[in-house]
Amino acid sequence: MNLFAQILAAVLGTVGFSIMFSVPREYYPLCGFVGGAGWMIYCLVLPYAAAPGATLAAAVLVVFLSRLFAVWRRCPVTIFLIPGIIPLVPGGDIYWMAYYIVMDQVETAAEKGFEAVKIAVAIVLGIVFVFQIPQKAFRRVIDAVRKS
Amino acid sequence: MEHEREIMDVAIEAGHILLENGAEIFRVEETVYRISRHYGIDSGSIFTLSNGLFVTADSVGAEPFSKVIHVPVGSAHLDRVAAVNQLSREIEEGRFTVSQARAELERIRRMPGKTSRMQVIGAAMGSAGFAYIYGGSPVDSLAAFLAGAILYVYILFVSRPHLSKMVGSITGGAVATAASMLLYALGLGEHLNYIVIGAVVSLIPGVAFTNAIRDITDENYLAGVVRMLDALLVFFCIAMGVGMVYAVVQGLMGGAAL
Repeated sequence: MNLFAQILAAVLGTVGFSIMFSVPREYYPLCGFVGGAGWMIYCLVLPYAAAPGATLAAAVLVVFLSRLFAVWRRCPVTIFLIPGIIPLVPGGDIYWMAYYIVMDQVETAAEKGFEAVKIAVAIVLGIVFVFQIPQKAFRRVIDAVRKS
Repeated sequence: MEHEREIMDVAIEAGHILLENGAEIFRVEETVYRISRHYGIDSGSIFTLSNGLFVTADSVGAEPFSKVIHVPVGSAHLDRVAAVNQLSREIEEGRFTVSQARAELERIRRMPGKTSRMQVIGAAMGSAGFAYIYGGSPVDSLAAFLAGAILYVYILFVSRPHLSKMVGSITGGAVATAASMLLYALGLGEHLNYIVIGAVVSLIPGVAFTNAIRDITDENYLAGVVRMLDALLVFFCIAMGVGMVYAVVQGLMGGAAL
């Protein structure tokens, strides 16, 4: 299956964005991991759910890992979160919306546009809920891992 | 407290660098409070917008202090955000005097970003990766790599220094689409759509979008809504740029090329 290629492409893309946003070099592997893991979940959930559902599952993992790594490496969560969330951003749907508008297929364009909104809302929900987990919980997980 | 001004300047500078380089509002305010409190100013107060800081301090026995700073939002340099974050933690551990902290902030402000060449390669990698995950083939990915690199050269040397954000995004979308079409016409790539989707990704306002969500979550509605508007506007402009090129090509060639 090309799941492996999909994940590889997501890692490549995420690291590309990390470079563009001037993430310190030592964090590239973790950024790639976050982006790749998110996209893997997206691909695995997609056969069983609509795209917004798969996006929500992926966003939850991306935000969770970003926060975990931020506590672990003592750096801002932004470093992992921004590159990691980008594969989930509905860029494709927005493109198709523009495409179908030009092709005069307004209904299809509206469908794509609405899909993009739903996916964006899924990302929002993922971020909102996972940021409710107190910082201490992540601290404890990291401390527990360090001890063992 | 004769140092009040000096301390507040250091705290504000830290906040300024954070806001300018893509940190969320909560972090900006928290850092300013932490630094000013560590150096003994408890009366500091800060209000942050997406493009400005308003800071006051009014300690007993010192001149009241206030400052308004306009912070035009530049491109994200997350390495600077990380460095200021680290500095603020070390200040709290007592490892910096006020003047040392000021010197360190000066150094962080001048931290060299990635070279243009690295940024172009990063953008091209992003384009190649996303062309593939959005449904393209490996060859499409290669075409997107080239088109993404062309777009980023345009961003670095034309749109960022000379054009407004809106015009830069519209023309950026157009340049990426035109470059993709050219490569496709030359025989590189199998699906034009996926090449274009990949090529334009470096224009996607990922920082504004993610920070907007986080600011709104933190109930910093004003800054969050402005950032969300910024992100939506850029999305809209990219789509417009792409659509414009398609419309022109379709008009000229009757849609056969698409």
